[in-house]
Amino acid sequence: MDVSQYLEIFLDETREHLQNLNTEILNLEQNPENMDTVNEIFRAAHSLKGMAGTMGFKRMQNLTHDMENVFSEVRNGAISIKPNMVDILFQCLDALEEYTANIQETADEGTNENEGLIKLLQDCLKTGGNSAPEVVVAKAEAEAPAEEAVKSSSNWDNIKLNGSEKTVLAKAIRQGKNVYGFTVRVQETCILKAARAFLVFKAVEEQGEILISNPSAQDIEDERFDLEFSVIVITEKAMSDVSKAILNVSEIASAEGKQFALDELQDGAVEVAEEKAVEQETAGTAVVAASQEVAKTTEKKATAGKPVVNRTVRVDIEKLDVLMNLVSELIIAKNSLVSASSQGSENNITFNEQIEYLESVTTNLHESVMKVRMVPIESVVNKFPRMIRDLSKKLNKKMELYMSGEETELDRTVVDEIGDPLMHLLRNSADHGLESAEVRKERGKPEVGSIFLDAYQDGNNVVIEVKDDGNGIDVEAVKRKAIERGTITAEQGENMSDKEIIDLLFLPSFSTAKQVSDVSGRGVGLDVVKSKIEALSGEVEVKSKLGVGSTWTIRLPLTLAIIQSLMVVVGGEKYAISLGSVTTIEDIDPKDIKLVQSKEVIHLRGNVIPLIRLDKVLDTVSTRKEDENLIVAIVKKGDKFAGLVIDELMGQQEIVIKSLGKFMKQSKIISGATILGDGEVALILDANALI
Amino acid sequence: MEELRTTSESIQFIVTQMGDEQYGIDIKYVDNIVRMQRTTRVPKVAPYIRGVINLRGEVIPIMNLRKKMELPEVEDTNSTRIIIVKLEQQGLVGLIVDEVKEVVTLDVDRIEKVSYDKDEKNMFLMGVGKNGDALISLLDLNAVVSE
Repeated sequence: MDVSQYLEIFLDETREHLQNLNTEILNLEQNPENMDTVNEIFRAAHSLKGMAGTMGFKRMQNLTHDMENVFSEVRNGAISIKPNMVDILFQCLDALEEYTANIQETADEGTNENEGLIKLLQDCLKTGGNSAPEVVVAKAEAEAPAEEAVKSSSNWDNIKLNGSEKTVLAKAIRQGKNVYGFTVRVQETCILKAARAFLVFKAVEEQGEILISNPSAQDIEDERFDLEFSVIVITEKAMSDVSKAILNVSEIASAEGKQFALDELQDGAVEVAEEKAVEQETAGTAVVAASQEVAKTTEKKATAGKPVVNRTVRVDIEKLDVLMNLVSELIIAKNSLVSASSQGSENNITFNEQIEYLESVTTNLHESVMKVRMVPIESVVNKFPRMIRDLSKKLNKKMELYMSGEETELDRTVVDEIGDPLMHLLRNSADHGLESAEVRKERGKPEVGSIFLDAYQDGNNVVIEVKDDGNGIDVEAVKRKAIERGTITAEQGENMSDKEIIDLLFLPSFSTAKQVSDVSGRGVGLDVVKSKIEALSGEVEVKSKLGVGSTWTIRLPLTLAIIQSLMVVVGGEKYAISLGSVTTIEDIDPKDIKLVQSKEVIHLRGNVIPLIRLDKVLDTVSTRKEDENLIVAIVKKGDKFAGLVIDELMGQQEIVIKSLGKFMKQSKIISGATILGDGEVALILDANALI
Repeated sequence: MEELRTTSESIQFIVTQMGDEQYGIDIKYVDNIVRMQRTTRVPKVAPYIRGVINLRGEVIPIMNLRKKMELPEVEDTNSTRIIIVKLEQQGLVGLIVDEVKEVVTLDVDRIEKVSYDKDEKNMFLMGVGKNGDALISLLDLNAVVSE
């Protein structure tokens, strides 16, 4: 079968599953008792195996198969999770990622058999149960009776029934109806499992009523099940009738059934979580810690419930771009209508109404298209906890990553690009920033270093901060190094501010790491970070205090396509300034301008704000007279302000950002151009670059 | 045989007038020819860039060819045109010329290579073509548009 056309989907989904596995295994390391996590991991591993098998990637399939086996045993309580197992599992994920990367590049999984890993996994299976620590043994014993009661050969009795479902079943039995649990097995060769399951459901429903199924009907429909699925049926017919109906569906291997008795239901033998807790108590001396653990898990189960699968539609980005262009044109058309209407002498009311309508339509359309393009940065930052864990082991430093604002949304193109720079910064913090545990102890800091990754929206920007409580940047060391390398002269070094020296770090091939490690220290990194972020029209900034830690702040534009802008006139030319950066517009008397270090500043509500004469910056001549009052647009960047002196205000307008092309090497203050209603091109000023 | 093959190879050029000289632009690069229109000045760019124009919703940089080739500058007239060329690297770029005259087809063997002498102007030429009595300087667009 030619499966190449599915390759892309396969890669996408594989990555999703791998990410999921990474997150869940990390989770598992923290709470080895959490059965939800184990189930989730099992499902993901199982789907991976199935997908790899379908696509004919045998090696990948073999590895996932063994992983699945381990989880299957963990799920059954036969073995428990230990730290070294987590390491092995992570290695497996790395191997799988390698396969995926190979597949992406060559459409082939490569030849690495990963026999070593598979052997390790099999060893886990063999020794897992025996060498388990005492607590686990006690727990296993405690659980054993429950296992016997609950576990029979089939899995239909693993279905968890809640109170009301139990009542329904009990009532049905009292009414003389039969309640059966069925486990249906489809043949291994079956291709359309979901379709077969559907036919089974239909056949059973002709015989009676399906109360509940495992997995849920939705999961079965989406083919999220192995070869088996289970149903609980209420019917008046005999069991043989029902199983005959099921077996009539082709490609069904077997259908095992069992009748429910009334007392079984009342004993609640099916509620596994409860069972565990009860059994723990009856085990009497059973280790207190263990029972607490279980109680915790039970609690979690109740609150967390079934993890909500993020349902997404994959949209080809090119299609979105087309849509975006259409919207852009619509806005241009709207703008020309607006300008036409203001020129018309007679005031046609219906014409204006139409324009207002068009305006609301385009605004809504714009918003919804933007939303389609926006994705939470979660998809990128998700891999970092795992990375920090690995770094922690590799560098032999204790550290913890705290993340917030993962739900912050950014344009898809930006999100795709931001991963590498963030990774560089985190590695930088882990390697250069945080001190070793001994040094930290000496300095009276907690032994475990903290790295923070915070994202939040700030006006038209999204800010991502990477913060650590490590050593901070040693300005003197940087200066020495820079002089040593000839980047600056000793004289220059004397006159540079701390900030200027820190900025040297962003120069290509500049690293102060005393040892070169494979984590960082090769001097490639910060310059890459800077250029990458600037390519996204963003900025990166560092604040650092020696001995206390450093904060790296990345500021990115929320969108790259359409913005609200303030239209201004300078020297007879029209310019647009992003409205997001404009805070107020002030009327300033020339007498109020003061000079500080021969630079013009104004005093505004307690702030000293530097003035920027736009006519000078833009090489043109202001049309205003010297003694006239100035119109000043106050713009903000982070906590810095500046006042842009303009000639005239035109008003607010929604503009479509157009690139000026690669031909011109324009100055940084011009971030693009836009087309006005009358067809004229106006340039967009980047207030951030002006400050 | 040999003769047949060589005569069949020819290139079409758009012939433009600038001052007394005629310049040819390989037609495969030409996207469009438009009349002179309102341009928006872009501050802080190379002096030979006149600005940007709006061509059906695209913002296109316009280059003053006379300035780039260090010819004396003239006022725009009714016959001034912008030849929009499309290059692989730089995308669409407009070149201002005094006048667009005709399209000529030149056989490759009628094009003479020019040697690089001290004359800076020749930097932008890929050769000289003969069209009847007239000589056409054929522009090397990649050289013209690069820095």
